[in-house]
Amino acid sequence: MSETFRNRLLLLVALALAAVYLFPLYWMYITALKTGSEMFRTPPSFWPDEPQWAIFPFVFQLKGMAQFLWNSVVIASGSVALIACLGTGAAYVLARYRNVWVDVGLFLVLMLQVLPASLMITPIFVLFTLTGLLDFPRTAVVLAIAAKSMPFFIVLVRATFMSVPMELEEAALVDGNSRAGAFWSIVLPLARNGILVSAILIFMQAFGEFVYSKSLIQEIELQPSSVGLNAFMGPNTNEWNRIMAFASIYVTPILATFVLLQRRIVSGLTSGALK
Amino acid sequence: MKQIVFSGVNKYYGAFHALKDIDLAIDKGSFVALVGPSGCGKSTLLRSLAGLEKITGGDISIAGEVVTALPPRRRDVAMVFQSYALYPHMTVEENLTYSLKVHGVSKAERKRAAGEVAATTGLSGLLHRYPRELSGGQRQRVAMSRAIIRNPKAFLFDEPLSNLDAALRVHMRKEIRALHDRLGATSVYVTHDQIEAMTMADHVVVMRAGVIEQQGRPLDLYDKPANKFVAGFIGSPAMNFIPATVEEGGRVTVDLGAGPVELAVAVAAPVGARVLIGIRPEHLTLTAPGDGRLVAAVAFTESTGFTTFVSTATTPELMVVETGRRAVASGDRVGLAFDDASVHVFDAETEQRL
Repeated sequence: MSETFRNRLLLLVALALAAVYLFPLYWMYITALKTGSEMFRTPPSFWPDEPQWAIFPFVFQLKGMAQFLWNSVVIASGSVALIACLGTGAAYVLARYRNVWVDVGLFLVLMLQVLPASLMITPIFVLFTLTGLLDFPRTAVVLAIAAKSMPFFIVLVRATFMSVPMELEEAALVDGNSRAGAFWSIVLPLARNGILVSAILIFMQAFGEFVYSKSLIQEIELQPSSVGLNAFMGPNTNEWNRIMAFASIYVTPILATFVLLQRRIVSGLTSGALK
Repeated sequence: MKQIVFSGVNKYYGAFHALKDIDLAIDKGSFVALVGPSGCGKSTLLRSLAGLEKITGGDISIAGEVVTALPPRRRDVAMVFQSYALYPHMTVEENLTYSLKVHGVSKAERKRAAGEVAATTGLSGLLHRYPRELSGGQRQRVAMSRAIIRNPKAFLFDEPLSNLDAALRVHMRKEIRALHDRLGATSVYVTHDQIEAMTMADHVVVMRAGVIEQQGRPLDLYDKPANKFVAGFIGSPAMNFIPATVEEGGRVTVDLGAGPVELAVAVAAPVGARVLIGIRPEHLTLTAPGDGRLVAAVAFTESTGFTTFVSTATTPELMVVETGRRAVASGDRVGLAFDDASVHVFDAETEQRL
């Protein structure tokens, strides 16, 4: 088997896998563009006869998506801000100090990541009810997401900090800076890429978060898009094209961000985003 | 005047005793080399001086001020790291002026200072480059310049030349020494390379296992090593050691298998005491088998062109360094001549000089 033939075969396999993986996405977009009758046709059509572009502004208006998307952005930004502030400090400490307590801390952080949201929601709900936090539902969701996603952020950013040589910090100390000053002017700029990439990943996770938002937010006008989309579907739903239009409007910005930043994200995940 | 004083400095890492009662006083303006094998504590001592390691006991003072409890930034010392530790996200100019910026020096003044230092170290054309765009030698210069620009109370060097190739290392050795003389600075230089220590320093401190084995002027260490360790560490190739026993009247004889040879050294040790005779390879000369004081067979020879290293097939093996090219080959019998004045005697038990 020649080199080129093998490469072509592997490319073919990769394309086939990508097609399988991306099929639902493709189906979402074309279903949104189909008319009601075309949607239920058998055999199904793989390209809409008359693309219904008007469905996007229609659904956007009908469902008040501006408010849903705004709530998603508020919740995701709040979570990222909280996680980045607390998580960066925690990751730095876990990266720079080596002793039994740090190992125990790291173990607990990793343990937290294992617990599923659906398991955690009941105790969180009870706790937030008791403390009155449910009166501020979006804040409550931000806190819950921060608790859930912080470990992931800490693990990623810790790796980034570990790739910044200790000697650079020591040079800054000898050059006359304080520990905090050295952190701000030397370590943080060098770890910036890794932190940014981790923050973007957290943002995307939080943007699509469902379990906590669904459970903690009762008022429709405070719910994020994920919950709004869910409310669209009932036992007798047949408006698949509208649901898919909603979904398209919801995920397209996230997809676009990922495609634009994917090079940095991938390098950030693998190399600690340095150099 | 003493610029740097260590008194009774101790350092533990957990149960490991890294520095043991270090007493060392460094004159203002002198160039001191801390030398020893890896793990001897030389770097730890330097880092303790910089404030990067907290010492467990004792005191360190710089320019008359006790700095033991002060953080690095309050000690006013500059350090050149083995890896150079240049800030990768800053240009050469920003690297040079980082300390000035931290100390609140104005932008115009910083620019002027950077230009001035760069001119003396040959970095003028490189000020706007990033460290990754520089060669190893240029990075080394930036690291040096970053220290110079501050005009600190002391310069600390942590094996700054170990990442350079041999030719550049010899060149930088001279350059660092010239720089030291020009600035009239006080320098502490850590190295594992005794040649660097011997050639650059006014005062050499030999360390082993957290203890100062001997300190003094380079040639004093070479001429009168205080113990077997220093004798073997200073000088290259290393000193030859031959076991011997003290006889009647403090006489010492050595025997390499061709009959005992008496040495004209008087040893103040009891009869029967076991000693080690030390002779440097460069103090042994090859002669015809009958003319020398010792006779040996040649095991093998190595020539660098200028010098020839000859190893003998005796127990213990002896190393002889001859300048020029010698027409001896493996298996030849040769005589070895030496001057009794160049013989060192050490106690075989304590390894101390007798």
